[in-house]
Amino acid sequence: MQVDQTEDKLDRHALVVAVWLAAGAIALVLFHFGFGAGGRGWLAGGFAAVLAGFASHVIVNAVTGTGFTPREVALGLVAMLAALLALVLATLLVVGFSAQFFLPVSGGLICLVLAVVLTMVTRHGPRRAFEVFDVIRDNNRRAASALPHRGGRK
Amino acid sequence: MTGLLLTLLALPVALSVYLATMVARSQTPAAFTDGGARLPGWAVIFGSGGVVLSGIDLPAHLALVGRYGLQASHLALGLIPAALALILVQKRLWLAARIAGTQSAGEALASYYGSVTLRLVMLTLAALFALPFAAQLLGGAGDFLAALTGNAVPRGVAIWVLAFALFLPAVIGGWRGVVLAVAVQSLMLAVLTAASTGFAEATLSAAGYLQQGMTLSDGILSDRIPGVIQYSAGIGKEPVQGGIFTTLALLSSALAFMGLLLSPAMLYLGMTARAGRNLAFATVWGIAGVVVGLLVLLAPFLAARMQGGATGLVAGLAGVDQLAAASLAVLFLALRLVATAFFVTSGTLLVVRELVLPFVLPNLDARGGRLTARIALAVAFALVAAIATFSPLGAAVFASLALPMAAQMFPALLGLAFVRWISRSAVLTGLILGFLAVFFTEPPGLILFEGLFLDLPWGRWPLTIHSAAWGLVLNVGAVLLVSIFTRQGAERQARDLLHDEFAAHWRTDFGGRAARAAKWSLVLIWAFLAIGPGAILGNSFFSQPVFTEGDAALGVPSLWVWQLLFWLAGVPLVWWLAYRSGLGLTTDVGIRTLRLPATVQAQERQAPDWIAASLARVTER
Repeated sequence: MQVDQTEDKLDRHALVVAVWLAAGAIALVLFHFGFGAGGRGWLAGGFAAVLAGFASHVIVNAVTGTGFTPREVALGLVAMLAALLALVLATLLVVGFSAQFFLPVSGGLICLVLAVVLTMVTRHGPRRAFEVFDVIRDNNRRAASALPHRGGRK
Repeated sequence: MTGLLLTLLALPVALSVYLATMVARSQTPAAFTDGGARLPGWAVIFGSGGVVLSGIDLPAHLALVGRYGLQASHLALGLIPAALALILVQKRLWLAARIAGTQSAGEALASYYGSVTLRLVMLTLAALFALPFAAQLLGGAGDFLAALTGNAVPRGVAIWVLAFALFLPAVIGGWRGVVLAVAVQSLMLAVLTAASTGFAEATLSAAGYLQQGMTLSDGILSDRIPGVIQYSAGIGKEPVQGGIFTTLALLSSALAFMGLLLSPAMLYLGMTARAGRNLAFATVWGIAGVVVGLLVLLAPFLAARMQGGATGLVAGLAGVDQLAAASLAVLFLALRLVATAFFVTSGTLLVVRELVLPFVLPNLDARGGRLTARIALAVAFALVAAIATFSPLGAAVFASLALPMAAQMFPALLGLAFVRWISRSAVLTGLILGFLAVFFTEPPGLILFEGLFLDLPWGRWPLTIHSAAWGLVLNVGAVLLVSIFTRQGAERQARDLLHDEFAAHWRTDFGGRAARAAKWSLVLIWAFLAIGPGAILGNSFFSQPVFTEGDAALGVPSLWVWQLLFWLAGVPLVWWLAYRSGLGLTTDVGIRTLRLPATVQAQERQAPDWIAASLARVTER
């Protein structure tokens, strides 16, 4: 049974890797060409590839009956923050970047955030999606806070 | 670009090693050779498609399309009847594995027919795919890498490094590790093939397929099939007017594709899969849907831009974007390496499971068995690399036998799956005649006979009919004839055991009389029009419609539209058998085990005296 569960986790992990390898390869090429000779349309294509990868990941979760693992969430957050940081630094330091690329890149990043929000809302509902980030509620937890009429749903 | 290319190439290798390591941590030693017969459905689905795309050697297929035009591209439709053949036998083999405890197609056939010869034939076929066939693919990858890097990475070095990169996941993770790695890369192959074609069309300035078609040699019809049959003595003897891909060549080549899908490795992949819908999904959507669709839709575009070869296309793309060019180069390399890894690993593991462990080293425990398999894998990958490096011509000559010879197993597999009156002697007689016909209509037989004796009046594929068809005609004829006299032979009772179990609990629902008639007649009509003599209509059906005086201005060749139409019509046919008749749906529930008389149980296995004595001479000094 233990081996079966480990195998199932590994199978799901490999499937997620497969999905992101394919989407990532395409996105990488499109971003590279977009920031080079291609221009805005190709950058949008790159973001579309990332969105396709994310959508496929959500489908994998649905098919395997799982959610995003803590490591996947952490990796996603790190990647998103790195992209934001890169956008800010490039806007400040690279001459001509903001005029040519700020709008498509920031628009793409906003689309990715919206996709994540939309996924959370459809999966958990608006209130539970918000509660995922509501860490203050758990700071000083008392037994009474779990009572239904006090709003305790966790 | 060499540095970028090698870096990109290292990424999938590292990923494969990572996955194999994770597998090795979680699986027991006993599962090393079969993945515990619980391979995940998605891996079987992606892996099947990827191995087919890779096994037909897509770069070579594109070169063929670049040389013969749409008539060669038409070959892709042959994968649909091949998928039908696979779906006919796959579920029953999967069930036989669970009911009778036979873990591979060779073992199933050997136990069912009570024939050691059939086990040896299947192992020989596995070796044919694992050595010359895989060596040809590996050699092609080595050639391509050497050409791309301007010989900065010489051919020999490229082959050995690539072979080592393929060996690592196999030796670490065994069957499950390789299947996962193959599946992960297969999805990447499919997506990159589509994306690279689109990228090249969008960015390259030179005119592509839609603007100027394909430039072919004089006398080759670029967008037409050159007749139903050509009365040619065969390739190497007599040039064929208009190109070699007549409708009979297309029909008979479909039988060769059947050999790829019925190869011991592909059957083993299906037999070690988990229960569920994965066999149906892999065949319908993976092979008939995505692979055939990619080939029919995209091959003309890529081939039109590959007039200077694959390296020319990569160089052209490098002028636009280095990363895109490097990705395309990795795609062309991976397209050969996926099948190489798959066939070498499966062939080796089959030989270890069916020959070495039961008959040479029967007393080994699970860890010892795993060590044996690892040593065998090292030897096999070294052999493949050596053949690819030092004997590329030999590899090409013997690789030509793999597909048509594997196709000769169809009557035997059909007997196990459905036709209980096909007897052992009928199957063996058919195989002997089929193999002989294949051997003497392919280069090995022609070279051998003409070198030793005298020139034969025919060459390769006489009358533009593929050797697989020559073999199957004799094979099926012999099977029918011999079965008439031997269908009630002594071993019939043993065969009935399995068929009675199938009939009692695993009946296939082909529907009522009308549904049955519709299924088979639609398949025949499809085959006649798509790849049979009726395909000749596609030459002008949409450009010069029969009921009008004028020509229609489609902007694309009529034959291409015909191909797309019959691809779209072919997928539902496979779907009908796989889903509606349940031939691709498997379940673990309600399986009863039984023992076929010829099955050799694990505890009864012992080395034959002559093998034991030979081993003792070496080990007991």
